[in-house]
Order: sequence, then C-alpha cells, then structure tokens
Amino acid sequence: MATKLTLEIIIMVTTNDITTYIAQIPPAPEVLKQTLVFINQGELSKAAKCAEADKALHVYLKTLVNKPVYGFKNEVSELSQIFGILGTSGAQQVLYNYMLTLLSPDKWELFKLNESLFFELQAQLNHQWKRILRHCNIDNKDIESAITLLPASIIVCEALFKSHRDEVMLLRSVKAIDYNTILRRLSGMDLFDICQIIAKKWEMPQTITAIVQSASGRTSDDVTIDRLGRWMHLLLFYEFSQAAYMEAGLNDFLEFHIDYAEPVYEEFMSLMEIQ
Amino acid sequence: MRAVVKNRIGTFHPQGFLDGTNVPMLLSLEDIQATEKLDIDMLLVSLKKVIFFNKNGLDVFVKLLSDIRSKLHIVIGFCDYDTKKYLAISKFYEDDLNFSLFRTQKIAMLFAATNSESSKKVLVYHQEASQRSSIAIELFDNGHHPVIAQSQQEFEEKKQLSENFDVIVEETFLGLFGQKIATRVRGNAIIYSVSNYLDAEISDSFNIAYHNNSLNVGFRLFIFDAYKVVSMNIHAFNFFAKLASAAAEYNATLCFVGLTFEKTPQSFKNDLEDSGIMFFDKMEAILEDKALLEELGGSSAAVVKGQRTLNKVLVNELPRFIDATVSTIEMMTNAKASKEGASVQDISVDSESKHIASSIGFYGDIDGMVALSFPHNIAKKTCELLLGEATDSEEEILDALAEFVNIIGGRVKALLLEKNINVTITLPRTYTSIDALLQVVEGKKGVQVDLNFDGEKFIFFLTR
Repeated sequence: MATKLTLEIIIMVTTNDITTYIAQIPPAPEVLKQTLVFINQGELSKAAKCAEADKALHVYLKTLVNKPVYGFKNEVSELSQIFGILGTSGAQQVLYNYMLTLLSPDKWELFKLNESLFFELQAQLNHQWKRILRHCNIDNKDIESAITLLPASIIVCEALFKSHRDEVMLLRSVKAIDYNTILRRLSGMDLFDICQIIAKKWEMPQTITAIVQSASGRTSDDVTIDRLGRWMHLLLFYEFSQAAYMEAGLNDFLEFHIDYAEPVYEEFMSLMEIQ
Repeated sequence: MRAVVKNRIGTFHPQGFLDGTNVPMLLSLEDIQATEKLDIDMLLVSLKKVIFFNKNGLDVFVKLLSDIRSKLHIVIGFCDYDTKKYLAISKFYEDDLNFSLFRTQKIAMLFAATNSESSKKVLVYHQEASQRSSIAIELFDNGHHPVIAQSQQEFEEKKQLSENFDVIVEETFLGLFGQKIATRVRGNAIIYSVSNYLDAEISDSFNIAYHNNSLNVGFRLFIFDAYKVVSMNIHAFNFFAKLASAAAEYNATLCFVGLTFEKTPQSFKNDLEDSGIMFFDKMEAILEDKALLEELGGSSAAVVKGQRTLNKVLVNELPRFIDATVSTIEMMTNAKASKEGASVQDISVDSESKHIASSIGFYGDIDGMVALSFPHNIAKKTCELLLGEATDSEEEILDALAEFVNIIGGRVKALLLEKNINVTITLPRTYTSIDALLQVVEGKKGVQVDLNFDGEKFIFFLTR
C-alpha cells in the first residue's frame, strides 16, 4: 500500500466518473429486447427463434439449464426446449441475468470474484428469491425478475471503486463505512440509484426498480414493495454471508440495516431452515 | 476485513450471518498480521449489524482475539449487542467466558486503558456481585464515578432516574482485564492508575511509548493514582527513578497520590523525593488547587523549558506532511485545496471566524506534531464524508476532525516509511477553540502553511 501513496493527489469517485460510467452502459441489444417482447406475450417459441441470433446467449442458456439444479440426465441444447423448461417468468429472469453479464468486467479487481462465482451468485439469488415468493404466495413475472437487477450494484461498485481501493482502506481504518455510503456522501447518488438508471436504460419494468430501491434499505410509500424489499435486503446479506462471497469482500460493500430486515427475520429463518 | 481504530480501540464490524464456515473468510492472513501491528488497548468485534451468529462463528473470533491478546496484552471482547445476543453469548460461554462484553462501544470506551473521556457518573448493575465490583473498580481506576445497584430492583429504580447518570452499564461483563495500567487525561495532566504489588512487571504494563510521547507533545504533569498500591519492590522503585530522571529533562513533574508506606520502605520515598517525585495524600489536593496545579505544570501543556526547535530532518519532510494533508482533504471532498504561503514562525491565526482545531503527534525516527486549524464551516465541509448527514453538533464535528487527522497521520506514516523513516502516531487531539490549541503550541516555532480550501483559509502547523 505504501508505494501507491507516493505524493500523488488522490481523488475519490466523482460525479463525472458516474456520468461517464452511465454513458458507457450500452442499451439492451435489439435481439434481447425483441426476445423479451415475445416472452411478455407468452410466445416462447417465437422468443426461442429470435434468441437464436445471439450465439453468446444460446451458450449462456445452455450452460444454465444443464446445471445440476435443473436435474436433466441428457444435455438440453435446443433453445425452444430451453425456453419451454424456463417458462415465461424463468425466461425473463434469465434474460435479465444475461444482460447483466454483458456489464460484468472481464477481470474483477475490487472484489475477489470471477465469471463463474458471479454466475453462481445470480443463480443462488434467483433460486432463493423464488422460494421466498412461493412462501409469500406471489406469482408475478416482474416481481420474480426483480432479483436480477440486484447484482448490478456489485458490478457498478467494482467499476467505480476499483482504482480507489487504497483510499477506501484509509477511510475504513478510522470509520466503519461501506462503498455505497461513500458514494452517496461524495456524489449524492448511491449504487442503487445507478442500478435504477441502468434498469431504465434497459427498459425494465418499474416494479423491478421499486423493489430493488427498497431492498437497499430505503422505504417507499408502498407497503407491499417495502415488504418485498425487506425480504430481498435480508436475502442479499444471507447470500453475502456465504463463505465464498465473504472471501470475495462482498460482505461490507453495502450497509446491512438490521432493523429494516427485522420484521421478516423470523419467517426468513424458518424458510431457510436456519436454527 | 480490517479493524477500525478509534481512541486506541480496534473494532471489527462484520455484517449479516456469522458461522464457523464464513468467519475465517472475513479475516485473511494479511488482516490478522495488520491487526497484530496495531497500537491499541482493546480489540472488539461489533455485533451491531450481525443478525445471526452461532457458537462456531464466535469461536473463530474468540480464538483470533485470544491469540492477539496473548501477544499484545490487550482487552478483547464483543460489543454492540442487544439483550438476546448478550444472553446467547453468555449461554455459549457459560463456563469459559474469558473475554469481555460491552453492550455498546461507548461503554467499552469507559474501560479503555488509555482514555481522554471526561469523568462520567455511571450506574452499574450485574447479577453477579463479583462482576459488579470488578466493573466499578475498573471504572473508578479510569477516573469515573460508578454507582453500584445491588439488586435488579434497585437498578430498575435508579434507571428511571437516568438523568442522574451519564452512562448506564448493564449486560456488560469484564473477562481477563487490567493487564495494562489505566491511563486517563484530565485537562493537561495524565493520570496513571497503579494497584497491588508494584514489581518488575510494571515495565510491561506501563505504556512507556505513550508516556514519552506525552512528554514530547507537551504534557508536564504525570500523576500516579496509587491508593490501591500495597507495596513496591526495588525493581519498581528503579523504574520510577528512571522515569523521574527522564521527566526532569522536560521539566515535567511526577507525583504519587495515596501511596502508603506501611509495607514499602520509607527510604524509597526519600530517594524518590530526591529524584524529583512528589507525594500527596489525596488527588483533590492537586486537581482542585489551581495554584499548585500551575506550579506543577498541569495548568498548561505548553513547553516551559528546554523548548525543542524544528530540525533539518523535519523540515526536509515538510512537503510530505503538506501533501498528505492536501491530498486527504481532496480525497474526502473531491475539491481542490491549495497552498498559499509558508513560513517559520509562531502559529498565527488571523481570522474573524470561529476556528476549531485538531492535532496529531508522531514519534520514532523523527518526532513532532501536526496541528490543523479550520474555520468551523470548513471543518464541517472537510469532514462531510465521515460525518454523513448534515450536523451542527460540535461534538460530532470534533469527532470527525479527530478521524480526519488520524487519516493524515496514517498517510504521513506511510509516506515516511517509503524513506525508511519509522514513526508511530499518537491519539489525535481536538480543540474547541483556537485558544485551546494556542495553549499547546504557543511559543513554539514551527512551519505554518496557509492553505486555501473552497475560498477560505485554514492553517497547517508543523512543530516539535
């Protein structure tokens, strides 16, 4: 650390950095947009046909459905089959996850993550979120997809702070402060505000951004959204507390609002079978 | 994860769920090594943002903390918990609770060996009588006024009158304690609490680096609160005689208060008096006698005699100090700070606006002190990143200012290390007015650099 500090003027993340970063985020590719339109219309075969134009998406989907969690003995490779397996909710969720991977860095520097670990995190969040929604008797495609936007906060944090690690360490030597709070205090904008901008750029449904904003610990005027936000906030920290993600440094990039999660804590613990 | 250090207390702040599989991932080998190098009196794990933990998770922390305790001889434990967590920990470690538990970080600070907290009136309750007494004794040693509630009912009744107390200590447990000599700062005097039998071990439990640094930064009165000393042997006698001769070089005064000579040879007293140590029966005899306090050097921390001047080594390193200051301000505000002029002089603050100030000392291969004096609004702006929501509380702003100079101190230390200059930084001090700072630096020559931030001037002053 000492060598990096040599008499250079250190500037933290600025609003300019944020503006530049947001400007660099590409709009959702046309193929994906069209595929999502078909999915929203319930036209899964048309969606599969449309998705064929994106080879990388095909590989992504194939890798995903052949994971042990789906339990297929033989390899599933046809897109029509894959979309059929996923259903409309699952397909929308997976497409949003795929869009997020387009934003992911090739090499993670701030967090000790890699492509596969990030993929696992997405998968795990999706799986647990489904469990929660089933428990809450909620069957809504957009609410189900809300979880896909959450990991965007990690990608944004990595992009904005990867060259400011030493400064953050210096600050943290005197104050328990997380990346999200640093960003908000420096720029008036936090990681979830940036996620909201990404969601808008990608034309994601408004419900998704509302739940994710609430999951950051910020209440809205909507009791249902806030209840989902509490579940998601707790789920996020439950996943960030897994050994691999603790090691990756994800445990302290956001502030955990224990009081905010408290109302759903007992139910969460019982659902996750934690004693 | 690294420990956050404040007032010589290191604290880990984990979040979420803690168990035996994830806690080892929180602390890398580098984190552990960095913790071992900290100059602290206490190492804690805050459970404020932990929603779930099991014994396996806590065991990992307990093992790490215990290893560090055996190396650094510091107090270890957990803090920031509610009743449910307190009961869970007490149950987990029913027969083996050898670390401490502090309900809040604020309570932990009352027990830190080195503290600059003002004297507090503290209501104490614990269901075990021995714990009640231990807590009260430690608080008393640290200069506070404990009031013990002897029963739950008495405690509940007294708690209703919370305005009578500054702090209420409950659900707190002292594990292995008292390995370091408690040190407190009262005004410009430093008080060390010593007890039992004073022997060769005093050289381990006495923080000599802190003492030397206190001399360097201008403290002139050191009081040994010795009411609870039974006796001292020749090793302890030699230790105090050496301290006295070192103090003489700085024209500082060492006093013993409350020491009896029933079991200690009277000749020790005579010899220690010859070496300049003074003896008093009661603490009030010194602290409440302004004339005596002034005579002993406890009314002002300014250097009286033997004033040390700036030297070439320090001046050579000046750009590093200024860069560390300027770049820290820029880092924390994303705004430009610029240098307007520098000269060797006594500190001079030419401003109509109310200034607050902070300082940090350093010692080792080189020694000295950096003081920063800011107009109130600039101090607030500079510390916005640490302060968070807008506040006008002077206490919070001063607290953030202390953290700010601590960062500067850390950077100076790192920058000097690049040139193989090793220094240790002291606890930061804050001053509510420029007059308070002047008491410390008045009459000292130093380098004053006028810096400009956001159109307003603030002062950097480097002295010895």
